[in-house]
Amino acid sequence: MSDRIVFEDVSKFYGEILGVNKVNLSIPPGITSLVGPNGSGKTTLMNLMTGLVKPSRGRIEVLGIATDDPEKMFRLVGYSTQFDAFPKGLTGFQFIYSYLCIAGMPAPEAERTAWQAIERVNLVDAASRKVAAYSKGMRQRIRLAQALAHNPKVLVLDEPLNGLDPLARAEMIALFRASAAEGCYVIISSHILHEVDVISDQVILLSNGYVVAEGQIQTVRNEIQEHPTQILVRCDRPRDLAARLFQSEYMIEASIHKDGRGVLLKTRDADRFYLAMNELALDGIQIESIAPADDDVLSVYEYLIGNEEVVR
Amino acid sequence: MNRLWWTQVKAVIRLELRKTFFAKRGLWIYVVAALPVALFVVYALVMANQHHRTANIARQGDKPLTYQDLLAVKPGMTRQQVTDMLGKPPLNFHWTEDRPTDSGATEKIQHEEYRYSDGQNDLYVALSNGEVQNIRIEEAYNLGQDAIMFAGVFQFFFLRLAIFFGCLGIFMNLFRGEVLDKSLHFYFLSPIRRDVLMAGKFLAGLLATCTIFVTSELLQTAAFMWHFNDRALNLYIYQHHGLEHAAIYVGVTILACVGYGAFFLVAGMLFRNPIVPAAAALIWEGINPFLPSILKQFSVIYYLKSLCPVEIPVSPGTPGLFALLISNADPISPPLAIIGILTVALIALFISSVQVRRMEINYTSE
Repeated sequence: MSDRIVFEDVSKFYGEILGVNKVNLSIPPGITSLVGPNGSGKTTLMNLMTGLVKPSRGRIEVLGIATDDPEKMFRLVGYSTQFDAFPKGLTGFQFIYSYLCIAGMPAPEAERTAWQAIERVNLVDAASRKVAAYSKGMRQRIRLAQALAHNPKVLVLDEPLNGLDPLARAEMIALFRASAAEGCYVIISSHILHEVDVISDQVILLSNGYVVAEGQIQTVRNEIQEHPTQILVRCDRPRDLAARLFQSEYMIEASIHKDGRGVLLKTRDADRFYLAMNELALDGIQIESIAPADDDVLSVYEYLIGNEEVVR
Repeated sequence: MNRLWWTQVKAVIRLELRKTFFAKRGLWIYVVAALPVALFVVYALVMANQHHRTANIARQGDKPLTYQDLLAVKPGMTRQQVTDMLGKPPLNFHWTEDRPTDSGATEKIQHEEYRYSDGQNDLYVALSNGEVQNIRIEEAYNLGQDAIMFAGVFQFFFLRLAIFFGCLGIFMNLFRGEVLDKSLHFYFLSPIRRDVLMAGKFLAGLLATCTIFVTSELLQTAAFMWHFNDRALNLYIYQHHGLEHAAIYVGVTILACVGYGAFFLVAGMLFRNPIVPAAAALIWEGINPFLPSILKQFSVIYYLKSLCPVEIPVSPGTPGLFALLISNADPISPPLAIIGILTVALIALFISSVQVRRMEINYTSE
């Protein structure tokens, strides 16, 4: 069995409208975030990954299982969609319980497992109420419970933090991290970049149906040559440091930090910059910290896609 | 079918039955199923009222009469002979007619109508100038005629309209309804084979339609026999094959649900607008008697008509096209009819299983 989620030259067209085009991906365990503006193809990619839509071209496998085999695939995959409709007349508990029964679980085990899933999303008090009467956040949580209920190896979560209050967001993020730490594949789509930045092990940047970049965020950042690297250096003599560094041809810009205790530098060659920093440290400048200032998702997103429709 | 699939099918059936039986948009199906029951209840009430009046007439007579007494009256008998034999009539009407003669004058003719009863059957005696001209006996229970009436309602309303549209309402919504509600992804995200899901939904629809329409059929039979007295009931059940007919009607109802259900299940997957396949199927089933033999076989009503236990006779003078609609000119044997309808259903289910595997969740295009 393969240990990756694999897309091979996958394209999806809705009639003449492009969903995604020529996607090649190999997603490892951990938290992978799909980032892109509305209409960039995030949900299409997730629907393709879970077999809800069929690719117009190409091949998709989830841990070695074809997506047109739901009986095998959904034993490994849990998908929390953005679709906000539920089977009519069901309570929160019945929703999860029915799902587990359809999965073939015996009734007593399904009941126990359903309660466990409901507890994981803190919805026990509302479990006996009709889902139709739930708030947006509660509906989001019951969908998460459905995705988590059968302890899948792969969690596909479309905008999972939408509608959740800050406390619930923190709880859910902890839940995703715990799953990733156990070796699960957590695929999250989000347009809230600072959250993606905090939780992701790797990102897939999408724009207009194309994968613009993928991988660990620092790796992606390093591959963007046309934008100089920004580095914040904290030290006791920022003006001296700026003056010394600015003599090098690879330095483009230096500005003193507003608190006067650091300097923000832009360089075309980060490797040579770090070598130079070693020499400066030997010259007696007390350097407290050196940290990249633009290897976060927000910066990479802005460099590659622009700043349309994102929430910082 | 392995054990897992059967467990999954049962889970789907449980969920679907709840939705099907209690869906607000399906309430009209109960109304359609109840209409023939209401018709037979009204018929039974009218007949019960008639029996009550007949019994009253018998009570008002000079002496108790038997059916043989009623049959003894013959045309040409005098008023006196009739009253001597049957007593004074409990009900009588008389009027005078001025009839013109050949000479241009008018002749007065005294008309009378006597009505007698043995408590169940009515005798109408028409007299002119004191002589019996015409007699008519209305029997309380004309079981042959009643069976034909029941067959007519069953074939022309219950099968062709009630079950047809009931199956349309239930089976087309099994997938199409969930697409419109945007909730089909719930099933498609479960670890269940799509064809197992389809089988579960079909069986749920079949259970629901069979429960509704078999109940309706049994209630129709009960209402139909409601006005029978013990003698007529025994006669109908044991000598007129009433029990056998009731069982066959139940069987035909179930087969109709299988046939129409399978058809509308696949139609719900292939068409967005249910009116198109419904109208096409209604026309196809309607023109079935006019089709060549080879095409007749691709129809549900063709097999169902062959299974119905009572053939509706065509009255002399019925227009040709209408007579063709009523009669079953090209019947096939019951075993072949059952095999035929199951084959049609299996073909439809096979197409459904292919179609369900191809289905995608794309609510925005709906």
